[in-house]
Amino acid sequence: MKGIKILFAIAVLVLALAPVGAQDVTTVTMWFSEGSTLDCWGPLMLEFNDIDPSIQLEIVPQANAWDVTRTAVAGGGGPDVVRTPGPSFVYEMAQAGLILPMDTFAESMGWGDFFFDWALDLGLVDGQLYSLSDELETLVMYYNVEVFEENGWTPPDTMDELNALAAEVEAAGLTVFSHGNASWRPTNEHFVGEYWTQVAGPHKVYQALSGEIPWTDESLVEAIELLDAHMQAGWYGGGVDLYFTNDGVYRRTSLAEGSAAMNIEGSWAIRGTVDYFGESGMTWDWVPVPSHDGTDYYTIGMGNTSSINANSPHPEAAAQFLTWYFSPATQGKMLTNCLKGPAPVAIGADVMAELDPRIARLYAELSDASANDRYGYTTWTFWPPKSDVYIYEEVERVWTGEITAMEYSEGLQELFAEELAAGDIPPIPTR
Amino acid sequence: MAVLSQKKPTTVFEKLNDETWRRKFLRNVVIPWIFIAPLLLIHIYVVAIPAVQGVYMSLTDWKGVGMNVNYVGLENYRELFFEDETFGKALGNNVAWMIFFLTVPFIMALFCATQLAQVKRGGMLYRSILFIPYVLASVVTTTIWKNLLNPQKGIGAAMDNILGLENTFGVAYLGRPESALMSIAFIDNWHFWGFLMILFLAAMQSIPPVLYDAAKIDGANRWQEFRHVTLPGIRPILVFMFMMVAIWSFLAFDYIFLLTQGGPGGASEVIATQLYKNAFFRFQAGYGAAQGVVISIFAGFIILIFVTVKRRGWDI
Repeated sequence: MKGIKILFAIAVLVLALAPVGAQDVTTVTMWFSEGSTLDCWGPLMLEFNDIDPSIQLEIVPQANAWDVTRTAVAGGGGPDVVRTPGPSFVYEMAQAGLILPMDTFAESMGWGDFFFDWALDLGLVDGQLYSLSDELETLVMYYNVEVFEENGWTPPDTMDELNALAAEVEAAGLTVFSHGNASWRPTNEHFVGEYWTQVAGPHKVYQALSGEIPWTDESLVEAIELLDAHMQAGWYGGGVDLYFTNDGVYRRTSLAEGSAAMNIEGSWAIRGTVDYFGESGMTWDWVPVPSHDGTDYYTIGMGNTSSINANSPHPEAAAQFLTWYFSPATQGKMLTNCLKGPAPVAIGADVMAELDPRIARLYAELSDASANDRYGYTTWTFWPPKSDVYIYEEVERVWTGEITAMEYSEGLQELFAEELAAGDIPPIPTR
Repeated sequence: MAVLSQKKPTTVFEKLNDETWRRKFLRNVVIPWIFIAPLLLIHIYVVAIPAVQGVYMSLTDWKGVGMNVNYVGLENYRELFFEDETFGKALGNNVAWMIFFLTVPFIMALFCATQLAQVKRGGMLYRSILFIPYVLASVVTTTIWKNLLNPQKGIGAAMDNILGLENTFGVAYLGRPESALMSIAFIDNWHFWGFLMILFLAAMQSIPPVLYDAAKIDGANRWQEFRHVTLPGIRPILVFMFMMVAIWSFLAFDYIFLLTQGGPGGASEVIATQLYKNAFFRFQAGYGAAQGVVISIFAGFIILIFVTVKRRGWDI
C-alpha cells in the first residue's frame, strides 16, 4: 500500500512538472535550402542542441530558403534566425524593420572577441548591428597541376604573363578557363569584379564605391575592355556563345579532366574541386588571380548573413545560437568537416593544421591580404542591388557586341549614382 | 379563378408577406448565392484583393520588403514606357513569342489531329505518345533539352560527327542572341503542341460523320473537307485556344528563366522575367507591379478583341 502511495505521488509530481518542462524548452528555428550543403552542415549545427536542453535548434529544409524566408518575414512570420544572401539584402530588411538590431547581444555575448573588427562593421545599418557575416569568400585561379607540368607551364603572376600563357594553352588545343554561366547567370559578376580589382586595383574600386571617382574612370573601363577582349578570344569556356551554354558540371569536369587549364572561381568551389579532381585522379592547386602589377590582390566577399527576426518570440535564444554558431570552434569544425567557408572569425592554428595545406594556405593568404591592404571587393557583397544586377546582366551586352565597355560603364555610373544618393550602398570597410 | 384574381405584391412589405414570392426569392436568389459564396469569398481573398493591391503597388515605390510605401503616381508607368529601353525589347520578344505560338503549334496540332482522327486502330497509343511531353514538368523538359542542345555533346554534335562536319549543327543555340529566344520557343512548343492536338482531336470527333459523307457525295477532296467541314466544326475551340495562347504569350516565364534567365545579353528577356528580376533582385517591387498591370492590360485587350469579334456575329 505504501509503495502504491509513493508511485502515485511520483506520478502526480511528474504530471505536475511535465507541462512546466515542456514550456521551458525554447525552439529556435532556421530555414535552410535543401541539398548537399544542408546534408553536411545540418548535423553539425544540431550539435547545438546538446549544449543546453532548454534551447533547441530546429532546421526547416526549404526548396529555396531565401525566397520563402523573404516572403514570410515580410508577412510577419518566418524563422527566428534570418539568413540572407548578403549585406545589401540586410540593408533593405533593416530599413523595413523586419530584423532586430543586435548591438546589445554583441556586447553581452562578446561577439567582438572572436569576429574581426571589419567583419562586424559589415553588418551595420545606420550605425546599428543588424547582421553577422558568414562564409568568407574570395576568388582565386585554380589550375590543373598535371596539365601545367606536362606542358612546362608555370602559373602566371601578372596579366602579361597570363596573356603569354593563354596563347600557349590555346596552341596546345586546350581551353584557357573552364567557364560558363548556364547554371548561374550572375557568374558574370565574378569576372567583372575580379578584372576591376586586378587591372585597375582595389584602391580605384574603393574610390568608385565611395563615389570619389566615376565608374567611367579610364582604368575601370580598361578593365572591362580587357575582360571583353579575353571573352572574344574564347578564353572563357571556348567562346562567348559556348560560355553562355556551359554549365557547372562542364566547369568542374573540364578542369579536373585536363581539357581546360585554369578556372577563376570562388573559394566556395573548393569542395566541388576536391570531389571532381578526386574522381579524375589529377591534382589541383591554386594561385591568386593575376594582376596588372603582379601584386596578390584578393577580393573579399560574404556568402551569407544571419540576423534575428523582428517577430521572433525569443530573440535572446536566437542570439545564443548565433554566439555558438559563429564561435571559432564551431566554424573550425564546419570548415574541416564540410569545407564550409568560415565566418570572418579568428580560427585557431590547430584547426587550420588539420586542413589540406592548399586550403589552409588560401585562408592564410586571404587573412594576410586583408591585414595588409591587399583586399578588394566582391560585387555581390558591396554593391547595391540595382547596380549589382546591372553588372552581371548588362556585361553580356558588351560580350555580344551590343554596347561598348564605355557605354556599359556609363550605364552603371548613372544607376550607381542614384543608389549612392539614396544611401543604398552597403557598408564598405574603410581603407 | 381565385389565384388569377390575387393581387401581385408590389411593395417590399407585401413581397415579404407573400409566401410564393418568398419561396421564389429563396430558390432563385438566396440559395444560389449561398452555394457560390465560399468560392466567391476565396476568389475575393486570393484574386480580387491582391489584384487591387497590385494596382495600388504599381503606383508606389515599394521595394518588396516592409511597408515603407510612397505614392509616386504614374511615375513607374512613365519610366516603363519612356525610359526603360529594355522593356521595349522584352515586349518585342513577347510579340515574337506570340506569333510563334499562334502559328507553329496550331499548324502542327491541326495537321496531326486531322491525321489521327482517321486512325481506327492504335490511335490511343499515338495520342498518348504525343501527349506525354505535356505532362512533364518544365524543369524536366528544360534539363532534357539543355543536354540535347549542348553544342559539344548534344544531338547537333552527334550529327556533325556522323556527317563529318564541324560546328555545323553542333552550335550553341541557347548561347547565341539570334537563336536563343526561338530555341526556347521550340522547346516550349515540344511540350505544348500535344495538348493542342488532343483538344482539336476531341473537337473533330464531335463533328457528325454525316457532314463528311455529304461532302464526299458532293465530290470534296481532303483539303476541301478540312476547309469546309473540319475547320468550321472545331472553330469554337480553335478560336478560344487562339485567345488563350495569345494571353499566355504575355505570361511566358518558366522555360525562359530555366534555360537562359533572359540572356544572352537580354536576347530572350520577356516582360515576366523582367518583372521577376525587378521585384526580387533589384528591390523594385512597385515597378514590377506596374509591369504586371501592363501584362494584364495586354491580356484584357486581347479578350476585348475576341469579345468584339463575337458581338459582330462570329460564331466563336
